[in-house]
Amino acid sequence: MEQFFQQLTNGLAVGGIYALIALGYTMVYGVLKLINFAHGDLFTIGAYLGLTLLTSMALTDKLGPFFGILLLAVMVMILVGIVGILLDQVAYRPLRESPRLSAVVSALGASIFFQNTIMLIYGASFHVYPQNILPRMVVNVFGLHIPMIRILVLLASVVMMLALYTFIQKTTIGTAIRAAAEDQGAAKLMGIDVNGVIMIVFFIGPALGGAAGLMVGLYYGQVNFTMGWIYGLKAFTAAILGGIGNIPGAMVGGILLGVIEALGAAYISIAWKDAIAFLVLILILIVRPTGLLGERVAEKI
Amino acid sequence: MKKFIAVLFPLLALSLLLSPPVFSAETVKIGLMGPMTGPWASEGQEMKQVLDLLAEDINSAGGLNGKKVEVISEDDAGDPRQASLAATRLTTKNVVAVIGTYGSSITEATQNIYDESEIIQVANGSTAIRLTEKGLDYFFRTCPRDDEQGRVAAQTIKNLGHKKVAILHDNTSYAKGLASETQGLLVEMEGVEVVFFEAITPGERDYNAILTKVKATSPDAIFFTGYYPEAGLLLRQKTEMGWDVPFMGGDATNHPDLVKIAGNAAAKGFYFVSAPLPKDLDTPEARDFVEKFQKAYGHAPNSIYAVLAGDGFRVVTEAIKQTDSTDTKKVAEYLHKEMEGFPGLTGKISFNDKGDRVGEVYRVYQVNENGEFILQP
Repeated sequence: MEQFFQQLTNGLAVGGIYALIALGYTMVYGVLKLINFAHGDLFTIGAYLGLTLLTSMALTDKLGPFFGILLLAVMVMILVGIVGILLDQVAYRPLRESPRLSAVVSALGASIFFQNTIMLIYGASFHVYPQNILPRMVVNVFGLHIPMIRILVLLASVVMMLALYTFIQKTTIGTAIRAAAEDQGAAKLMGIDVNGVIMIVFFIGPALGGAAGLMVGLYYGQVNFTMGWIYGLKAFTAAILGGIGNIPGAMVGGILLGVIEALGAAYISIAWKDAIAFLVLILILIVRPTGLLGERVAEKI
Repeated sequence: MKKFIAVLFPLLALSLLLSPPVFSAETVKIGLMGPMTGPWASEGQEMKQVLDLLAEDINSAGGLNGKKVEVISEDDAGDPRQASLAATRLTTKNVVAVIGTYGSSITEATQNIYDESEIIQVANGSTAIRLTEKGLDYFFRTCPRDDEQGRVAAQTIKNLGHKKVAILHDNTSYAKGLASETQGLLVEMEGVEVVFFEAITPGERDYNAILTKVKATSPDAIFFTGYYPEAGLLLRQKTEMGWDVPFMGGDATNHPDLVKIAGNAAAKGFYFVSAPLPKDLDTPEARDFVEKFQKAYGHAPNSIYAVLAGDGFRVVTEAIKQTDSTDTKKVAEYLHKEMEGFPGLTGKISFNDKGDRVGEVYRVYQVNENGEFILQP
């Protein structure tokens, strides 16, 4: 039983990160019906920008660990958000009226472009976040060992997800985003600036992805230019699991995927961990083709 | 179609005219296939530095049988697909022998390509057993095999007094081979039990779930046969869990980045089995070489595999010199049968019929509190 709860916390931490990245996929898909395959690389950019800012500005020395990391996170999110907007303007906007497959191909191209740019700038070898920025505390409750940082990671992702949910549900801009996702044409007729909405979506999604990259860097310490691939793939799976286009769905899907992986590794087989996760995905899609919380009918990409 | 050929033909002719003459009897060409880019780029780049230095040495001393030695390097990117392309390119360049490469699965993708072209291949870091069990006449390696590594690992585990051992690998041909070899040997030993044996997925960040599962079997020691990026993360996450079980690695964990990833505190006490580091080599040839390398590049060589690539180059050039021929059949014959105790950089070198290096090479290292690798007596 103890092992079960330990594995549950392992899965929750991984799942929180999946969920944050999955939000970027799902928001863009919701509004544009486009799978932004470059999203995983925006996550990598977040991890690398975090490393550069952390080492060059010594924020944590000046402001202490908490405010230093907070300011760092805000800076990384804004910068990655801007990269997201640029990505949309350069790679997707000119293709808005083209068949949807063109934009998908453009997304794959953008992904390769980002990956190689990161490699050329930072080099192909591993980069390591400085050690001991965050206090390495371990919380012991009910015989469970939970590193403090894992709780912080989970907490940070939950806070960001709740903030996003409130933003989408309660504010005027949020309502505009939901309207544009429902029916772009009608939204335009109602006087909603759909291009503005798309820009906001391409800011928020990548910003959250960038924050996830920073958290992975701080938590696991090690970054390299191909790291976005696996995380992107898993987060995309999580978005589908929860119902792509649906924001609470991405959160539920991400957390669930992380937990399934951890428990699958624990009770069945480590080597089959990914296979188990995908098997669950297939089973859920057979029963609910639109994903767990998806309502709209899934369309082909 | 006709039009296509009409365009193609002059283009082909033109390219033949423009390309420099491929055949030049004045040089002996030795190929180098190594990971110049990709995750193991640092290994490949150092392999090239070593070979360039050694070739320069020979050339400034009057060359090989009166001819200059030329090193032609190709990038395999640490990827089997890329490697087979690199190998195909090298076979068209008239090389006598190819040195490389680092990873076993990458070498495996190129073995037949060289064999069919009758080009000698001397691998420098590929320790998987089956590479030399195929009966290829032109394949050699200067690194030892995993069964020897497995023997040393199993012996070390026993000597350290561990009774219950967990073995983790990462499903690459190298890591899996070493893991099952060691498992086999440990099972035969009395009083040692393998309580856990499974593969992790390389390239991930979070191994907490795996570590939690291993911990539930309460082993005395963990033996991980994969590569240093994952070993570093495992060490770090194991320490974060507050679990101080002894951790041991195979020779793919021998890399300074291991300590960078894990952090000094988590890496302290980590054991690994490896061929000796360049700084611990004690032959006169090695001391002389390390000094020259230092002078040329400003630091001592980091990787033993780069030095083993240098040994590959040295045995090939020695064989060409002794046979006074670049006929690969004669050179391979010499390497198999006549080379006896050649003073290599990493100790005496002879090859058996399979092309494996004869003799003990592996040592045991431990990481100290400053993150340095200390040779264990």
